[in-house]
Amino acid sequence: MVIGFAVIAWFTARFRAARLRPLGGDRPHSLPGYHGWYVALWLAIPALLFLTVWSLFLPGLVEQSVLLDPAAQNLPASQIERTAILGEARALADGSLTAAFNEEAEALVPAYQEASGFYGVIGIIATLLLAFACGAYAFLRVRPDFRARNRVERVVMWVLLIASLIAILTTIGIVASLLFETIRFFERISIVEFIFGTHWNPQSTTFSDDPGSFGAIPLFWGTILIGAIIAMIVAIPLGLMSAVYLTQYAPAKVRSVMKPVLEILAGVPTVVYGYFAALTVAPAIRDFAVNVMGVSSASSESALAAGVVMGVMIIPFVSSMADDSLAAVPGAMRDGSLAMGATNSETIKRVLIPAALPGIVGGVLLAVSRAIGETMIVVMAAGLAANLTANPFESVTTVTVQIVQLLTGDQEFDSSKTLAAFALGLVLFIVTLLLNIIALGVVKRFREAYE
Amino acid sequence: MNTAIASSPDRQPTDWSADAMQRRIRARYRAEKRFRFYGLFAVLLSAGFLAFLLVTMISSGARGFTQTQIALPVNFPASDIFLEPSQLDGDDRDQLLAQTDFQGLARQSAIAAYGEDGPAFLSNGAWVLLRDAVSEDPSLLTRNETLWVPASTEVDFAARGDSGMRQSEERDTMSTRYAELEAADQVRRTLSWNFLTLADSSDPTLVGIWGALKGSLLTMTITLLLAFPIGVLTAVYLEEYAPENRWTDIIEVSINNLAAVPSIIFGLLGLAVFINVFYLPRSAAIVGGLTLALMTMPVIVIAGRNAIKSVPPSIRDAALGIGASPVQVLTHHVLPLSLPGILTGTIIGMSRALGETAPLLLIGMRAFVATPPGGFTDPATVLPVQIFLWSDELDPGFVEKTSAAIIVLLLFLLAMNGIAIWLRNKYEQRW
Repeated sequence: MVIGFAVIAWFTARFRAARLRPLGGDRPHSLPGYHGWYVALWLAIPALLFLTVWSLFLPGLVEQSVLLDPAAQNLPASQIERTAILGEARALADGSLTAAFNEEAEALVPAYQEASGFYGVIGIIATLLLAFACGAYAFLRVRPDFRARNRVERVVMWVLLIASLIAILTTIGIVASLLFETIRFFERISIVEFIFGTHWNPQSTTFSDDPGSFGAIPLFWGTILIGAIIAMIVAIPLGLMSAVYLTQYAPAKVRSVMKPVLEILAGVPTVVYGYFAALTVAPAIRDFAVNVMGVSSASSESALAAGVVMGVMIIPFVSSMADDSLAAVPGAMRDGSLAMGATNSETIKRVLIPAALPGIVGGVLLAVSRAIGETMIVVMAAGLAANLTANPFESVTTVTVQIVQLLTGDQEFDSSKTLAAFALGLVLFIVTLLLNIIALGVVKRFREAYE
Repeated sequence: MNTAIASSPDRQPTDWSADAMQRRIRARYRAEKRFRFYGLFAVLLSAGFLAFLLVTMISSGARGFTQTQIALPVNFPASDIFLEPSQLDGDDRDQLLAQTDFQGLARQSAIAAYGEDGPAFLSNGAWVLLRDAVSEDPSLLTRNETLWVPASTEVDFAARGDSGMRQSEERDTMSTRYAELEAADQVRRTLSWNFLTLADSSDPTLVGIWGALKGSLLTMTITLLLAFPIGVLTAVYLEEYAPENRWTDIIEVSINNLAAVPSIIFGLLGLAVFINVFYLPRSAAIVGGLTLALMTMPVIVIAGRNAIKSVPPSIRDAALGIGASPVQVLTHHVLPLSLPGILTGTIIGMSRALGETAPLLLIGMRAFVATPPGGFTDPATVLPVQIFLWSDELDPGFVEKTSAAIIVLLLFLLAMNGIAIWLRNKYEQRW
């Protein structure tokens, strides 16, 4: 409704400002449209702000007046029961409940309806009054020499600034929520045991916080084994060689087809990779391990299956970072090497790749940070058992798997398990952040070296 | 040193035609070829992996769009249900239908048609179809009518000659029975819209993705409504207005960090803030949309900044020079010119959000949702989460449904990226 009035205000003020034109000697300072915006903003912003504040206070005001009602005199004294009954009465009053569980709630319904109707009317009247007062104030200022444009642009500026502050708020929100829960976790479980303990089995702790079950070393190791070792063994050679081939050898036509094809690999949702890993790759690898390698302990949730599929997912990242780094090496170095009689491959191996190495390493670090934060592939294809093993055919678990595992059960929010998930999240956040900072630093220094 | 070598009298010029030298050159050329081959191999292997993935999904998912149906002759007048068509004209029609034992009717009819093990041929939800048929055409109640209803998973597996997970004896009897049925034209396989119009169910013959699709749609609406304006405004601020000071640096650093934070962290944020502090309903589209919006916003900001940066300064200067105000420069020139780039970035960010699963798992969007969500606060699930949930099901009938859902998801992503590429090619200007 306020928006509707603002639209009307925009038109009337614009009209009035347009009429002003012939009156003044000079042209008015601002275009009519700006006067329209000025009045509309004045009308809408204070009213909407008031509405927001009002709707925050409304439940409290309604509740207070309900408690003054004679029907509320015989409410139980205990705070919890009282809130329960009040909540029920509220639900009854707005029609989301049809039958009451507590009889007292039934008695409070008329009081509730009356109070919320009363305060609702007050709110609407106050909002309208405010809107009209502010709108009238602004409307009276519509004069030829009034600098409506500058005022409106200042408002726009503020809107832009507030929008960009949301990014900071999100970052603060992440850090604060992770830190807050993690600190509560470390009040129960010692930090030393969390970081250096080698036994992880939080599902076994029911009520007592068994201190021996929160050692996260097996998770860190599993994450490193899958994300930083197996996935990279797949992704680095394939990604690097793809980039070399596509930038140095491939005819333009092949390049224009194969580059988007590789990029599709990065666009496939991770849940699809996860399903593929669990359905096709993992059984194949288990059969291979049992029948060909003779590894009897091979698990159908092997680290290898998750790692290989994750490596495939990472190929486009490594490839595009390597691509950029190779392109950043000055052409003179390449030409010089070729002029000395080196073959293409010798130039690539001995000149281009060493020169581009910092950039490539930076890209690999970014890829690692992506791989260890990856969730769905490992949730679906890697196991839950926290084994501390270097055998890639066995099942390991990762930090992200455990976060999902700990938070998707039906436990209350305060349990150590839930808090442990936030502690793991904080570790993940810090590690990926550090990897990104280091990687970007390396890449930046490398770029500067050739500029 | 070098001059000493060059002028040294014992140094001979290299004899390129000598055998040793020729061998060396040949070896170097072989190495060159080998290296080139490795490169080609790497590219083909990566592409082959993609092809393998797609072929696996399509071949196992194509059947998910079809349904094995079985003919069920129903003799309504002779059955145990005592409904008259005239009774269904009243207001209590729904109640009457709910009270009638269609489940028993389906059982009875199956036994009458196919013998004692007849009910095992029908899908567990076949009776719902009987009820719907009666509800649509009450005159059925006076006739003897043959209806096509979904067959059970076992029949479905026999139809494709697949073992499923049954014991071999059971499988063999089912196969022979199926052959008999087929000879009598009592089963058929049809393309069925059911997969696109139904919601989740515990019976794989009756599941559909409409519920998940609608959840995705609602979630994406919230994400777009929040992430797009905030992202564009932030990009405009950083490119056009921001003074060079510490605040601007902090904003830039936090945006770049947010773009690199693992998605599961956003799920933790959503859980801790939206659900535990603001008490928004669990597993609702609005929480999912908010969480994904925070995740998508940095992508839009970065794409938007690049698009705005690529508008040449001469255009701004020209507009300012003829008296436009900064906001006019922005709304009349810079934004229209950079809009294709911003939209491309937005679509790419949205397609990433559409495929995202992990953060939504954490905020509880993994509930079993058998009715499509009606609004932003109803319990909902989204397409990728539905895929994850079905992949966990033990019933082998879910395998093809999961793959079929993956095909639908990939088609959506393909369409979105296609639009993005088309936009970029059509509108992007090189200055």
